[in-house]
Amino acid sequence: MSSPSQAQQPTAPSKPRKTKHGGWLELPKHLTLGLLVLLTLFPIYYIIVNSFKTVTELATSNLNLPSHLEWNNYGLAWTALQLPLLNTSLIVGAGVLGIVALAALSAYAFARIEFPGRNALFVLVFALLLVPGFLTLIPLFLQIKKMNLSGGHLSLILPYIAGGQAFSIFVLKSFFETLPKELFEAAKVDGANDFQMFSRIALPLSVPILVTVALINLVPLWNDLLLPRLVLNEQSKTVTLALLSFTGVPMGQIGNDAAINAGYVLASLPLVIVMGFLMRYYIEGLTSGSVKA
Amino acid sequence: MSMKLQRSTLGFAGRRVSPLERLWRGRVGYLFILPTFVFLGYFLYFPAWVSLSGAFTDWDGFNSPNFIGLENFTRAFADPIMGTAAQNNIIQALWGIPLAIVPSFLAAELIFSLRDLRAQYAYRTLFVIPIVVPSIVGLLLWRSFYGSGGLINQLLGYAHLESLQRVWLTNASTALNAIIFMGFPWIGAFNLLIFYAGLQGISSEIRDAATLDGSVGLHRILNIDIPLCIPQFRLMLILSLLGSAQRLVEPIVMTNGGPGFATTYPILYMYNTAVQEGDFGYSMALSFILFVVILILNGINNAVAKRYQ
Repeated sequence: MSSPSQAQQPTAPSKPRKTKHGGWLELPKHLTLGLLVLLTLFPIYYIIVNSFKTVTELATSNLNLPSHLEWNNYGLAWTALQLPLLNTSLIVGAGVLGIVALAALSAYAFARIEFPGRNALFVLVFALLLVPGFLTLIPLFLQIKKMNLSGGHLSLILPYIAGGQAFSIFVLKSFFETLPKELFEAAKVDGANDFQMFSRIALPLSVPILVTVALINLVPLWNDLLLPRLVLNEQSKTVTLALLSFTGVPMGQIGNDAAINAGYVLASLPLVIVMGFLMRYYIEGLTSGSVKA
Repeated sequence: MSMKLQRSTLGFAGRRVSPLERLWRGRVGYLFILPTFVFLGYFLYFPAWVSLSGAFTDWDGFNSPNFIGLENFTRAFADPIMGTAAQNNIIQALWGIPLAIVPSFLAAELIFSLRDLRAQYAYRTLFVIPIVVPSIVGLLLWRSFYGSGGLINQLLGYAHLESLQRVWLTNASTALNAIIFMGFPWIGAFNLLIFYAGLQGISSEIRDAATLDGSVGLHRILNIDIPLCIPQFRLMLILSLLGSAQRLVEPIVMTNGGPGFATTYPILYMYNTAVQEGDFGYSMALSFILFVVILILNGINNAVAKRYQ
């Protein structure tokens, strides 16, 4: 946090101008923000209430609460989505782990190990931040096809690991540079080698930033549509591909309109769970200034 | 100590150490970055090279490519579809960039102005919650909202504005605007958090001094907050500008560029030229052009920023 004084005194009336009326004067702000929150969260409300309706009820009222809970929709959605959910979790989980592991190694080398050409090689990595995804999309697709992975999980995991490197190395390198030098020098005196200093000193001190970097990589991978659409086979298809296939005639493979909403809810649950535990890292990572382009 | 070591072994004076020996001494460093570079080489540097060099060929994906010079580029600049697509993208950017910046900034201002810090945190969290919903769900929902029996027409019906009802995405005169303006009220979690961090970064002395001078409300926003958040505005401007040039998923899901080419952006045209037509050479020339445009925009942004610093 850039202004600790504020963070430490949540409700302290530090300013004399704060009176009892201060709270009431803020009412218009709360009303405006409340309305904006409702509008922003409306899609979530919409998919949740409609996921519990029967098709007939959905056809007549899509804004009300359901008259009873039609759990059958979730059965249909689960049947259609269990494999894609597993696929996405595997692909994104392995991808994010790979990104963070490789990027941490490289960032540590760029920050803490001397070797000829270090700066030039870092510039080479940094330059990738300027290379937009569309430039490499089509040749990347052809490159993946050449590997004979037949559209399995690895055909996404491997390119994802590559794609996350530049940004993650950039953020982690700046963080590793802030770690006190003395720690590493002391360890060196005690006979620690570079890998031990990396795994026993640098990594344990960097858990929050590692989690932040993992989350920032995770969200776009979870949402990716372009590369899965080009490379994956039917067996390995991800949640985004499955959701896209539900719409159209006649409601794709899920059964009915209400079940589609149940599918949307199911597709959101994994991130609900992850973010439920780790939202703090996402918010603080973005607002503390440690992560800036 | 490590600095001294570095100078004596790596500096210009280090003639006692042969270049090979210097490389050998750096072996641990190379070992650490080796995995990254294997991945980058195979999945990024090489494809980028294929893309940039392929722009000057007639490659169709099957036969070996022939070098054809600038033919693809002259074709692109004379291509009427490219003209329409560029025009669509400019319209999109003119609306899309303010929509990415203004609502999020105003929401950040409102949240930051609350006295209760717990309320600030609660609102921040509430606005960030939508990131758990896959973005494809947002697109598919809006696609259904714009349908003939969708929510937009339904609301127009409630308001007795039946004359305004239409099938928004298949109507050439409304499709582009429908895509641009979906996502109401346009408050993005990432943008909001960046602006909030910017406001937090303004020192409390400046804030208190401004308050004592009677600078409150809109006056303070215009004279204190906006000037001091210029770095955040710059970041958001360049990110939303780059985002505008790279909107590919949206038209694919919503309209696939139609009706006709009403919602085709250059990037979608590039994509379809490769994926549907198999005209890889021409597609790579289109992405080459788009890449250069992006580099120029980035350069202008940097130059302007330097000038006003």
